[in-house]
Amino acid sequence: MAAEHAIPTHAEPLFDIGPLAVTNSMMVTWVVTLAIVLVVQAGTRRVRLAPTGLQNVLEFVVESLYEMLEGIIGPDFIRRTFPFLATVFLFILACNWTGLVPGFGTIGWGVAGEHGFTVKQPLLRPTNADVNMTMSMAVTFTVLWLFWYYKAHGAVGALKHLFAPKGGMRGAILIVLVPVFMFVGVLELISIFFVRPLGLSVRLFGNVFAGDNLLEAMNHIVKFPLDVLALLPFYFLELLVGIVQALVFMLLCAAFTTAAIMHEEEGH
Amino acid sequence: MIPIILAAAETHPPGFFQQFGVDWPHFLAQLITFLIVLWVLKRYAYKPLLDMLDERKRRIAESMAQAEQIKRELAMAQEAREKMLADANKQAQQFIDEARAAAARQGDQRLQQAIAQAEQLIAKAREATDLDRQRMMAELKREVGRLVIDTTAKVTGKVLTPQDQQRLAEETAKQLAA
Repeated sequence: MAAEHAIPTHAEPLFDIGPLAVTNSMMVTWVVTLAIVLVVQAGTRRVRLAPTGLQNVLEFVVESLYEMLEGIIGPDFIRRTFPFLATVFLFILACNWTGLVPGFGTIGWGVAGEHGFTVKQPLLRPTNADVNMTMSMAVTFTVLWLFWYYKAHGAVGALKHLFAPKGGMRGAILIVLVPVFMFVGVLELISIFFVRPLGLSVRLFGNVFAGDNLLEAMNHIVKFPLDVLALLPFYFLELLVGIVQALVFMLLCAAFTTAAIMHEEEGH
Repeated sequence: MIPIILAAAETHPPGFFQQFGVDWPHFLAQLITFLIVLWVLKRYAYKPLLDMLDERKRRIAESMAQAEQIKRELAMAQEAREKMLADANKQAQQFIDEARAAAARQGDQRLQQAIAQAEQLIAKAREATDLDRQRMMAELKREVGRLVIDTTAKVTGKVLTPQDQQRLAEETAKQLAA
């Protein structure tokens, strides 16, 4: 039964715009983007020194994130890195919580079966239950990370930071350890270009996709009207998962950035 | 990195990326949407709000510095006021003391004047009394002398010469004076 009601692992195409097949997760991404644009526009149309209403809320969010990230990144790089890190958090959070709105995964095209109507092609799919989305954020981070790394160390400094022996060793031990550090540098490169982006994107996708599946499964296991009661605790769990995953993505990016921009005398 | 991953996925059809629907068009579409969100938030949210927060912090710092300055100036003004008040009190006390001293001096002067006037009056009275007494004594001497002459003339029964009268009058005067 579970397999019968399982949500597909990939986003479903809904209609075509030219060569592009617009998927259900893309639809939600656009809706969330539009909502973010409208909220930001309404809150910052006329920024006042004494904030009121929505500006107050936006200021609280931005200031809280800024202070938290400044504590991790430090004052030198915060202005440069803050826009991406804050956007990742807010966008993932908005997408995750939007995905909890009733109707996601349950409204769409499907077939009537033995256990009732089964949606095969949902109209709405949580944005982060699409690896294309999570990977696009991870790739953006990798590109920006490289830029920040270059800005912090320069080209030669970055290579030295990756491959050169650390700890101020001299003499024979240095000659022995050079290949080890070179190998560590290669591993670091693999981590930077493959492991980190894949880890970031698959972790977020897995959590959101699993949450969506959990809610879907509970919806089918318990019949109406008890399903409302049965789903409530899971909705709260998913609310928590939504913010935790947004935080995890942002904090991991911040931690990778901090490790990259730190100079040897500071932390290595 | 991603091109390598995606190229690898294309050469192995039943792979991870096909299973999760990852392909170039959808990846790019989601990437562009995310970059739009990033740009919108950076341009219309973070920049104006962070600038405003900086501006507010600057103004608060300025206000606090001004408040501190005002507090300092107020303390200085208070100190100056207290000093002025103390000076004024001191000056007033000085004036009072001087006035008191002047009053005392004036009072003494008036007393002395009164005493002098009184002494003068007494002296004049005494002088007048002396004059009266001398006049009365002279009159008395004259009267007694006349009575002695009259009595002597009556007792002796003779008419006294001017020399006798002179002598009797002088003797009487001598005796009265004694």
